[in-house]
Amino acid sequence: MFNSKKMPRPLIYLSLMGVIIGSLLWWLSAPQTLITQQQVNSIKVDINNGKHLFYIGGCSSCHQLVPALLKDTLSNSPLKETSLKETPSIDSEEAPIPLAQLGGGKRFTTPFGTFIAPNISPDKATGIGNWSDLTFANALISGVSPSGEHYYPAFPYTSYTRMQLQDVLDLKAYLNTLPAINRQNEAHQLSLPFSIRRTLGLWKRLFFSKEALVKFDNVSPIVKRGQYLVEGPGHCGECHTQRNKLGALNKQRWLAGAALETGNNEAETIEVPNITHDESGLRDWSEGDIINYLETGFTPEYDVAGEVMAEVIENTSQISDEDRAAIAAYLLAIPVLLNPEE
Amino acid sequence: MKTIKYIMMLFITSLALNSVAASIEKSIEARQSYMKLYAFNLGIAGDMAKGKSEYNAEQAKNAAKNLLSLAMMNNAAMWPEGSSNQDEEGKGITRAKPALWSTYPEVINKHKNLVTALERFSLLAGDGIESLQKGMKSVGRGCGGCHKQFRAKNK
Repeated sequence: MFNSKKMPRPLIYLSLMGVIIGSLLWWLSAPQTLITQQQVNSIKVDINNGKHLFYIGGCSSCHQLVPALLKDTLSNSPLKETSLKETPSIDSEEAPIPLAQLGGGKRFTTPFGTFIAPNISPDKATGIGNWSDLTFANALISGVSPSGEHYYPAFPYTSYTRMQLQDVLDLKAYLNTLPAINRQNEAHQLSLPFSIRRTLGLWKRLFFSKEALVKFDNVSPIVKRGQYLVEGPGHCGECHTQRNKLGALNKQRWLAGAALETGNNEAETIEVPNITHDESGLRDWSEGDIINYLETGFTPEYDVAGEVMAEVIENTSQISDEDRAAIAAYLLAIPVLLNPEE
Repeated sequence: MKTIKYIMMLFITSLALNSVAASIEKSIEARQSYMKLYAFNLGIAGDMAKGKSEYNAEQAKNAAKNLLSLAMMNNAAMWPEGSSNQDEEGKGITRAKPALWSTYPEVINKHKNLVTALERFSLLAGDGIESLQKGMKSVGRGCGGCHKQFRAKNK
């Protein structure tokens, strides 16, 4: 057993110090849930609003089942491909949009390792079909999993934490109406120390906040709505803002563009444009241009959105005219920032 | 004699290679001009749709018909093998990804979707501003189908 008489005094102090620091770090890094059952009980859900939120959040951009996995998954499921179609209520003259199949599987290579999008379809065995409303709310707002572990911020709960609880639960109600996809989740492939989820507790202490990113003195309701959409469910800043070495957003460079490291090699980056009203950003874009871009994907020069942004447009083309206008109004109201190299 | 033969062969080979490079460069140039024609006609219709210019049924219809003609045009010669952004001849001058040449029949299906959207657009663009606006959304989705998957970002 531990015998203090045989131990040199400095070592005892050092050990004690170690225990105290360790306990403090353990306490500081503990997952904390921000939503209570009582709050959840007071909400009455609205599936139509949930569908709207689904498109604002662009859930399918990350969680859509990887096409290569579709055939196998359907063979394990009572679903047939033909049952995966719906006619959008927004504009019945348009071609039907396939129902989202949120079985996940998409891989995201980053400097921290590879993240694999999980199954968020309502499948009870492999998806989120068995999650309670409280569990779902704490995943999005607190970044805490059903088993009480921290989520990695590759899942943008850092933005979703600004969502209203009503919207979060409406979204869940809509997700529950989508096809259940039976696909087992895969573990993320991360190296030490990033593979230790508990460390994220300290990361959250430093970088996780519900606070608004732009402080307006006096602002119109439309800009306020745009702020909610962009900083919250729309999570635009997760790509359009530069990150620091710990993967947190540099809030001083809010929406001023980013060079996202791909993780394939040190030099390789993806350039994401500045979307403030600077010359290197949206200076030449009118409010109408931004609204039109979010609806059709066409830039003012009639080039068309490509790659990841094309996926975003697939979603923003489905949201209301009012919300597209709100996003545009907010983007024109935020501080103008130059590109980093300028 | 042997040396002369060797030099001649090298000369002919380099001429042939140069001519392939030139033809690839021309193909890339042609398809970029082709895309500009799309953009020009989209601009006529799109500016009306977003209220930047006044709606004119005749002009909207003509722009839509031009877009359909462009989509129906046989443009295979503009997309020769070896002209992607990863090929030596294409590096730095094109953003077309190699997947464009290897992802069949998806490429064809995406093109069919664009043609379908433009067929509808050419019938409706002259029917009023609302029809024009709805049509632009579908056309955007049609164009985005290929650009999402097969065009690389600007560096």
